[in-house]
Amino acid sequence: MSLPKPVMRGLLAKRLRFHLPIAFTLSLIVAAAFKFTVTEPRKQAYADFYKQYDAMKEFNAMREAGIFESVRPSGE
Amino acid sequence: MAHPSQLGFQDAASPVMEELLHFHDHALMIVFLISTLVLYIIVAMVTAKVTNKYIIDSQEIEIVWTVLPAVILTLIALPSLRILYLMDEINDPHLTVKAMGHQWYWSYEYTDYENLGFDSYMIPTQDLSPGQFRLLETDHRMVVPMESPIRVLVSAEDVLHSWAVPALGVKMDGVPGRLNQTAFIASRPGVFYGQCSEICGANHSFMPIVVEAVPLEHFENWSSLMLEDA
Repeated sequence: MSLPKPVMRGLLAKRLRFHLPIAFTLSLIVAAAFKFTVTEPRKQAYADFYKQYDAMKEFNAMREAGIFESVRPSGE
Repeated sequence: MAHPSQLGFQDAASPVMEELLHFHDHALMIVFLISTLVLYIIVAMVTAKVTNKYIIDSQEIEIVWTVLPAVILTLIALPSLRILYLMDEINDPHLTVKAMGHQWYWSYEYTDYENLGFDSYMIPTQDLSPGQFRLLETDHRMVVPMESPIRVLVSAEDVLHSWAVPALGVKMDGVPGRLNQTAFIASRPGVFYGQCSEICGANHSFMPIVVEAVPLEHFENWSSLMLEDA
C-alpha cells in the first residue's frame, strides 16, 4: 500500500495565494471603516454645525458667561 | 483649547484648520490601510510552517511594490498640495497684527490706523481666578474681529520663538531680524489658546498666546479703550 506523494512544491505560492487577497481585502475594509466611522461623520459634523450657526447668538451667550476680556457681560 | 485625555486635534476655528483636520483623517486612513496590510503579512510569514529557500527574484512583485506605493504617495500628495496652495492664496487681510516674541512674553502691535501696542504676559498660577486655565491665560489678549482675514507678522526681539494657535491652524516661527507672515480667519467668535512653539529659554513653556475673536464693533470699542489706556 503506497502513500500518495506529498505536495512538495509551490507551498509558499499556495500560502500567498490564500493570504494575500485576505490581507488586501482586510486592509481595504479597515480603511473603509475608518472613512465611514470617522472621516465622513467629522465632515458632516462640521457642515451641520455651521449650517445653523448664529455667530451673534453664540457671541452673546459667551459674552454673558464672562469668557471675553475685551467685552464684559451686558450687566457690568 | 485642549482637554484632558485628548487624542486628536482641537476643534477647528478657521477654514484652513478644518481642511487640515480632514487631510489628517485622509492620511491616517492610508496609514491604517498600510499598517493592516503589513501586520497581516508579518503574522502570516511568522506563522508559516515551511520556508522557500530558492527564491531568486520576481519581476511581478517588484512592479507591484513600486507602483502601489507610488500611487499611495500620489493620493497623499494631491490633497496636501491643495491645502498648501489654499493657505498661500492672496487673502487681502482686513487687519495686520505684529506678534513679537520676547523672553518670555509676546507683544502685539496694531499699527494699521493708530499705534496700539501692549505686552502679553502669562498669568501666574497663584493669580488665576476660578475657571481660568493654568499656564494658558495671559493678562492681555490679542483681540481680533471674527470672520475677517487677519494677517499676523511674527518676529522676535531676542531668540527664536514660535507663534502657534492650534485651533486656528496657525504656527509661524519668530526669528530675530526676520518678519514672517501668516494669516487666518476666525470662523466663529471665541477664545483660542496657544503656546510658544520654539525653545527659547527657561520660561519657554510659560509664554502662552490667547486670541479673542469678537464682532467687529466690539473689536473697535476694545481698541479705542486700549488706546485711551495707553
